[in-house]
Amino acid sequence: MSCSPSDLRDYLFNELADSDRRNLELHIKTCPACREELDRLRLTQAAMFSLREEEIPQRIAFVSDPVFEPSGWRRAWTVFWGSPARLGFASAAMLSGAILLSALTRPAATLATAKFPPAPASIQTTATVPEAEIERRIQAAVDKAVTASEERETANVRQLVGELQQSRQQLRLAAAELDMSQRRADYVRYVSSNYGPPPQSAAGEQK
Amino acid sequence: MIFRAVEDGDLVRQAARGGVEAYNLLVSRWEKRVYNYLLRITGNREDALDLTQDVFLKAYQNLRKLEDHGRFAPWLYRIAHNEAYSMFRKRRPESDVEEVEPEATETGINVGGSSVFPIELSLAVASALGRLSAEQREAVVLKIYQGFKFEEMAEILGCPVSTVKSRLYTALELLKAELAPVTARGVS
Repeated sequence: MSCSPSDLRDYLFNELADSDRRNLELHIKTCPACREELDRLRLTQAAMFSLREEEIPQRIAFVSDPVFEPSGWRRAWTVFWGSPARLGFASAAMLSGAILLSALTRPAATLATAKFPPAPASIQTTATVPEAEIERRIQAAVDKAVTASEERETANVRQLVGELQQSRQQLRLAAAELDMSQRRADYVRYVSSNYGPPPQSAAGEQK
Repeated sequence: MIFRAVEDGDLVRQAARGGVEAYNLLVSRWEKRVYNYLLRITGNREDALDLTQDVFLKAYQNLRKLEDHGRFAPWLYRIAHNEAYSMFRKRRPESDVEEVEPEATETGINVGGSSVFPIELSLAVASALGRLSAEQREAVVLKIYQGFKFEEMAEILGCPVSTVKSRLYTALELLKAELAPVTARGVS
């Protein structure tokens, strides 16, 4: 073990671990410099103890007076709110409650009323227009709407009629084609029954 | 039936429930030591007594906040340290607390009547202590006179253990330089 002043001081103040303490004691036996340093430290410490403690001039004592003692409820209150976790939880709960209350009690129509002009203005405007004029305007609007509707209906009907005529024409053509095919089949049947099977070239032409 | 000594933790537990008698027992155990600690760092008996009373009152008011009842002593000295430095700051708000010098040599901290040490030695010790800085002196008082461990001193002073050791060892070198020769003459 090497000479270490801080180890000597820790040894003096009994702050060394047991193993270090034993090692230092062995070292001191063989090291005159450390032994001398430790002696000086011990002399210093002994000199310090020449100052004795004084007696306290006035003893201190507390008396139990119910007037000054906090009540049980108050003590419990203090203990409860002394915890930071409880205080934090209570703050969060109060904040949540405030938000909820604000959301429930806020008037919904406040914004709309502020943005749009009040209704009485338009009522006054209609009151100044004569009833006949109103009737005329309504009638004109109705007529216009009916005319537009009828035009749309007429156009639709025309389109449907056109489509029907086209379908009818196609059906007529299909019926004629069917009739022609029927006649051709009858003719072939008649010829084959009177004159035997038709020649090969005729069959090839039919295909 | 098992007998055991009533420890500070037991008394703290009872006092925290409102047991004034238990707290008075705690006070009687610690008042002399706290008073002497404050006397050594303030150098004034009146201040030390006033501060001691304040310390025990404040400790009683905050006793329920002490979670580890077994660590009553460092907690109590932490309050005492704070009260003393609060007083220093109030009295000299513009000066550094470090510069506050106790009046130990002027007021003459008494040597016990039955002391085996010569009076010159006690005066030399008081003088040497007075020449230390306030922080060094407090470290010496807490270690040599009050017997706290380094970790407890760090808790009381609110600084790392390394700082505590540095203050103490620097002070010890200064004290050794002044007192070791005097001690050698006085003892021999």
